[in-house]
Amino acid sequence: MWEQIRSNQTRTLILVAAMGLLLLLLGYFLGEALFGSGIGGLVVAILIWVIMNLFAYFQGDSLILSISRARKISRDDHPRLYNIVEEMKIASGLEKVPDIYIIDDPSLNAFAVGRDPSRASVAITSGLLERLNRDELQGVMAHEISHIKNRDVLLMTFCSVLLGTIVLLAWFAARMMLFGGMRGGGSRRSSGGGGGYATLIIIAVAIVLLIVAPIAAQLIYYAISRRREYLADASGALYTRYPEGLASALEKIAGSTQELKTANKAFAPMYIINPFRDKGRAASDLTSTHPPVSERVRILRSMAGGASLAAYDKAYHEVSRSGKGVIPSSALVGAAAVAARKPEAAEAVPEKVERVRETSDLLWKYSDYGLVNCECGTKLRVPPKFRGDSIRCPHCGRTNTIPARRKSTG
Amino acid sequence: MSVGIIVLIVVLVVLFLFLGFIWMSYNGLVRLRNQVKNAWAQIDVQLKRRHDLIPNLVETVKGYAKYERETFEAVTNARNLAQKAVGTGVGSQAKAEGELSGALSRLLAVVEKYPDLKANTNYLALQEELTSTENKISFSRQHYNDSVLTYNNKTQMVPSNIIAGMFGFKTGEFFEVTVAAEKEVPKVSFT
Amino acid sequence: MDCPACKGVVVVVEYQRIELDYCTKCYGVWFDAGELALLTERLGLEGGSLTVSEIVALPEKRVAEKARRCPICRKKMKKVTIGSASEVLIDVCTRGHGVWFDGGEVGQVLGQLKDKHAAADKQGRVIDFLGEVFHVRG
Repeated sequence: MWEQIRSNQTRTLILVAAMGLLLLLLGYFLGEALFGSGIGGLVVAILIWVIMNLFAYFQGDSLILSISRARKISRDDHPRLYNIVEEMKIASGLEKVPDIYIIDDPSLNAFAVGRDPSRASVAITSGLLERLNRDELQGVMAHEISHIKNRDVLLMTFCSVLLGTIVLLAWFAARMMLFGGMRGGGSRRSSGGGGGYATLIIIAVAIVLLIVAPIAAQLIYYAISRRREYLADASGALYTRYPEGLASALEKIAGSTQELKTANKAFAPMYIINPFRDKGRAASDLTSTHPPVSERVRILRSMAGGASLAAYDKAYHEVSRSGKGVIPSSALVGAAAVAARKPEAAEAVPEKVERVRETSDLLWKYSDYGLVNCECGTKLRVPPKFRGDSIRCPHCGRTNTIPARRKSTG
Repeated sequence: MSVGIIVLIVVLVVLFLFLGFIWMSYNGLVRLRNQVKNAWAQIDVQLKRRHDLIPNLVETVKGYAKYERETFEAVTNARNLAQKAVGTGVGSQAKAEGELSGALSRLLAVVEKYPDLKANTNYLALQEELTSTENKISFSRQHYNDSVLTYNNKTQMVPSNIIAGMFGFKTGEFFEVTVAAEKEVPKVSFT
Repeated sequence: MDCPACKGVVVVVEYQRIELDYCTKCYGVWFDAGELALLTERLGLEGGSLTVSEIVALPEKRVAEKARRCPICRKKMKKVTIGSASEVLIDVCTRGHGVWFDGGEVGQVLGQLKDKHAAADKQGRVIDFLGEVFHVRG
C-alpha cells in the first residue's frame, strides 16, 4: 500500500518520518521526566498512536461523511455529476467508481475520503454543484480523484493521527507537570542517588519538546498537505487534459465568502480548498493546509497548452520562482508530452438557474418534500410536517390536493 | 576442493539471479499486457454504449427534424458499420469509429437548426449521455494508449526485450484517430 | 425551515424557476440569497444585481416591530425599508443568508401593486416579482 506514496514522494516520506521521530522523542523524554522510564513513555506514546490509527482507519470515512451530513446519490439523482466522476475514474485508471455524496450547504467546497481506492468516496456541497459548469466540475472531481489515486487520503489521515497524538501527549504531560506529577518523579530519581544533573537535563529537554513538538509537527503536517495539493492539481490537469477547468473552478470557489458549516479542522487537507481560510493572509503562509488559491490558479494557467505533469512542474517553476519542483522526478521520466484539449461547448450544461433547480430538487426529494404541480405552472413543495391533504396555490388560488407522501416520523 | 565449492556457489548465484531476472521480467510483461487488455475492454464498453445511444438519439431528433433523412441515414449506416467492426482489430475498429464520429457531428450540427428540439428534456438527457460517452471514449483511449506505451517500451528496451522475444510478447497497437473530424470530439451545443 | 415570524410550516413555492419559502400560516415570505441572485441575474437589472449585502448596507429602521431571527443562522435580522415609490419594511440577515417579508408586508405590496407596477429600479423589480408570485395570496 505504501509503494505508490513512496515511489512518488521521497520528500513526503522524509517529512512523515520527521513527524514520527518527534512523537518518539516526545514519548521518550516525557516518560523519563514523568515516570523515570523513557521506554515506558515510548510504549504509552506508541499505544495511543496505534489506537488512534485503528480508529481512523476503520471509522474515519464514515465519521467524516456523517459529520458533514453528506448524502449518497445514485446515477439517476444527478446523471451529470455521476458521469463526470465516472469519466475521471476512467481517465485516472482507478478500479472502481467512488461513492458520490452531496452536502446540503451553500458554501463552495468538495472533498475525498476513503482509505484505499477501492473504498473511496467523493463529496461536494450543493452550492458548488450549482455554481460550476461541466468543465469546472470535471476539474474539481479530477482533483479529488487524484487525492484518492495518489493515496493522499490515507497519507493525510496517517499524518493527522500522528499530529493528534503529539498534541494529545503534550497536552496531558503539561497537565501532569503542572499538577505535581513531576515532583514525584523528580524526587524518586534523586532519592535513587546521583544523576541530579541528568534529571535536570531530561526535564529541560522534556519541557522544550512539550512546547516545540506540537508546533513543529503542525508545520510539517501543513508542508505535507500543501505538496499533496499541488500534486493533485497537476494530476487533475493531466486527467482532464484541461487545466483551465480546475483553474476557473478554483477562482469561483475562492470568490465565495460563505463558510462550510460542517467543516472539521482535522480534515482540512481533504477539501479542495481550505475551509478555514482567513481572508487577507500572506501568500506563502507556513500555517496553511493549502497553497494560496491565486498561486494554484496561476500555475494551472501557465501550463501553456500542455496538460502533462512536466508542464505543471514547469509552470510551477515559473510562477513560484522556486528552484525546486513539486512533481517528483520519478513521475516525470519517460512521460510523453500531453496537449490540453479544447473546452466543452459553452452550453454543454444547463444554464445556472437550471443547475440550481436540478440540485435543489434533489435535496427536496431527499428531505421527503411532497411536490404539487399547480395548473398555473407554479410548483409547491410541502415539507413532511405539513398537516392537511390540500394546499391553496398562492399564485392562482386553486386548491390542490397533496399527493400521498411517505409517513413522516415527526 | 574449496575452490570447487566457491565456483559452484558462484555458478548457483549467477543462475539464481538469471532465473530471478527472467521471472521478474516475465511477470512484469504479463502484468502490463493485462493492463493493456483491460484498458481495451474499457474502450469497448464505452463504444458499445455509444452504439446503443445512437438509435435513441436519431429517433428523438427525427421527431423534430423530418427533412434531414440523409443525415439520419449516414449516422445509422456508420453506426452499423462500427458495430460490425467490433472485434476486428484495433486499426479497423478505430477507423469505423472515426467515420461514426464524423457522421455524428454532422447530425449534431443539424440539431442546431431546431431550437424546440434543443429545449426538449428527453434530448437534453440524451445529450448529457452522449457528451459523457464521448468523453469516456476519449479518456479510456488516453488510458489505453498510455498503457500501450508503457508495455511497448518494456518489450522493446534492453534487457526486458530479450524475455519479450523469448516468450513472444508482441507490441500493442495504439488506438489512433483516423478521421480528421474525430480529432474534435463532437460537442453538442444548445443555446 | 420554520417561519421566522410565527414558527409555522413553511412550504416552497417555485414560480418561473425561482424558489421562495412561504409560510402557510402568517403568509410571510423568505427570499433566499441564492434565489434573489438568480432572479436579479435573470432580470438583467441595470446597475448590477441586487445582492443581500447591498440590502444589509441600507440604514437600519427603528420600529416597534419585534426583531426576527434568520431562519438559517438564527442571528437577529436587521430591519430596513426597500422600494422608493412604495416603501416596504423587511428583515435582512446580516450574515447575508436572505431577506424576510412579513405577511403584512407582502399584503402591502399586493395592495399597492393592484394594477400598476412598482418603480422600475432594481428594488422595485424584486417587489414586483413578489407581487406577481403571490397574486391571490391566502
